[in-house]
Amino acid sequence: MSLAPLRGRTAAAGRPGLRGTLLILPAVVPALFVLGGGIGAAVAQSLGLLPLIGPVRLSLDAYTAQSGALPVSIAVSLGIATASTAIAAVVGFAAALVIVSGRWGGRIVAAISAATVTMPHLIGAAAIGLLLADSGLLPRLLGIDADAWPRLVGGPWWVAVVAEYAWKESAFVALVVAGTLATRVASFDETAALLGAGRLARLRFVMIPLCLPALVVSSTIVFVYTLGSYEVAWLLGRSYPEPLPVMALRLFGSITLTARPEAAAVAVVTTAISLAVVALAFLALRRTALWR
Amino acid sequence: MTQSSLRRTSLTRRAKVAAAVGLLALTGCSAPNSEAATHDFASWDEVVSAAEGQTVQLWMYGGDQQGNAYIDDVLAPAVAEQGVTLERVPVTDTADALNRVLSELQAGRTADGTVDLIWVNGANFSTGKEAGAWLCDWTSLLPNMDKTAVDDPLLSDDFGTPVDGCEVPWHKAQFTIAYNSDIIENPPTSLAGVLDWARAHPGRFTYPAPPDFTGSVFTRQVLYSVSGGYENVPLTYDQESFDELSPALYEKLVDLAPSLWRAGDTYPASSDELNQLYADGQVDMTMTYGPATLTDLVAGGVYPAGTRILTLDEGTVGNASFLGLPSNAESRAGAMVVANTALSVEQQVAKADPEAWGQFTVLDYDSLASAEQALFDALPKSLVVPSYDILSTNANPELSAAWVPPLDEGWRTRVLGAR
Repeated sequence: MSLAPLRGRTAAAGRPGLRGTLLILPAVVPALFVLGGGIGAAVAQSLGLLPLIGPVRLSLDAYTAQSGALPVSIAVSLGIATASTAIAAVVGFAAALVIVSGRWGGRIVAAISAATVTMPHLIGAAAIGLLLADSGLLPRLLGIDADAWPRLVGGPWWVAVVAEYAWKESAFVALVVAGTLATRVASFDETAALLGAGRLARLRFVMIPLCLPALVVSSTIVFVYTLGSYEVAWLLGRSYPEPLPVMALRLFGSITLTARPEAAAVAVVTTAISLAVVALAFLALRRTALWR
Repeated sequence: MTQSSLRRTSLTRRAKVAAAVGLLALTGCSAPNSEAATHDFASWDEVVSAAEGQTVQLWMYGGDQQGNAYIDDVLAPAVAEQGVTLERVPVTDTADALNRVLSELQAGRTADGTVDLIWVNGANFSTGKEAGAWLCDWTSLLPNMDKTAVDDPLLSDDFGTPVDGCEVPWHKAQFTIAYNSDIIENPPTSLAGVLDWARAHPGRFTYPAPPDFTGSVFTRQVLYSVSGGYENVPLTYDQESFDELSPALYEKLVDLAPSLWRAGDTYPASSDELNQLYADGQVDMTMTYGPATLTDLVAGGVYPAGTRILTLDEGTVGNASFLGLPSNAESRAGAMVVANTALSVEQQVAKADPEAWGQFTVLDYDSLASAEQALFDALPKSLVVPSYDILSTNANPELSAAWVPPLDEGWRTRVLGAR
């Protein structure tokens, strides 16, 4: 997104712009190399150009082979990602408001959020599993029999999976949004308060519009991450139907040789959805008040 | 066109070329040659001298403690005497080892692969053979191959795939169900009877979820049962037979699910987990492809003292497991020395000892010298496990490897999906 202004400056000032471009090359080239190579390999493999056996033949077989299971997996993945992102955005935004409130509670929330972000998702998933499973800590603390406890882990509604993502990612959203609030929003908020705006009015006309870009960006990151990550759904979800990354990994490790292109196809579909979501998010971002 | 814009154009063009070269380097590896690779050793002596000083990486399932101990304490010292270092690489699933080989081949690593030997059989062998992942025609070099029976169908075909000298036999296995005789006084005598018993005793029976090896063979055994015996299931796979025979199998298993451990909500992920449940007394039956290990488990108090083998009237599936040598193995000669040593009478006897590992030999007992036969005769007899001839009575043949993926996938979608 920063390339456009850069090129404008190049035309105007000539050499310094070129230097700027050269300076970011060490970061951009390896990223492009890995990204292009990875996606390129996945696309080539999914199109039958990198077969484990047999001749190289351009075909869409890998995409049609899972035509029955793929739509279900896409629906499951989108469902989990949407639910997790929505909860994380709401909780994270609320937590950010508490963090910048300046009261002592805000420091506690900030400390908890910072600690949560550092924890790996795998550990988080294991913890949620131990807490919410029918033989877990929570039903035992509440004295509820395992049979009467709802199937949160491995159940039909993916509750434990969504809970884990929402919990971890709300901390991430909170820290990003709190960063925005702390820098410039606070002064606007104080000005509005001096001019006599009530709490609700300030939230609606000052806080939300000013936080929206940060909220949109962090939510998009959460959505794309949730869509593409494997371990939480694998640990806490059910074996069937399965989200896209779990399906891709299972196919990749399958003993059927034709399954590798299918795994690549699932990965390419996941990437395409992620790119579409990011594109939508940028469109939304352009419509926000703060976008120049 | 101004000079600066010209420079910029050539710069972008160069960048494009560089990017394309980079992409090619990453993605432009060709499909591996699916022709079977062959070795270039003229004689066994050549192999032995080439093996001197080599290190062999044996990739094998790591969840079997006795198996691990046998490799580390018995086989590795024996090959060390011949100048070969044996390193055991534990994997959770044999497919992981094969996948490593296939990935290396796909990346163009055809001569110095990390995997030198794989404990393999069935579906993985067939998959690897299809992709040209195995070195072939090498087993006839091994002096100890003479001690196996040439006409033994278990050794010439592996799940319906001709062995063709691409893997060397290691031991024989018989699918076996074990039960706690202290709890089950009148054990069923057929697989249908086992399923009926499970329905009559909710929560006391389960099986590992395919594609676990043992869970997978259990579903094939149920397929034989609901089809009226193995004679009614064509060993080579075809879609028509699958569509005709598999619905009865899945119907039976879906029907059984509510009576299983945890009401079929979840299944043990591996045979290890099932064995744990059995050891803890949470279920009353377990199943294994290596029944000889039971003796030691009972003696060690891991399994209940009342553990006995459940013999089925219609017999159970039997097969042999093998050591496969990847075509890109770095230590080919060393791997051959390890395979030959593993096939020696001393090693086969040591491995057959229930206290060591308890795996049935692949050697042809009748063709052995009397002194060698005496070594096998001297092995301790077991109260728990009958001898291999009794166990393998009415043995059922394995279905061809092509049956395994569709059966496992069908189980996932139809049995697990029906929850």
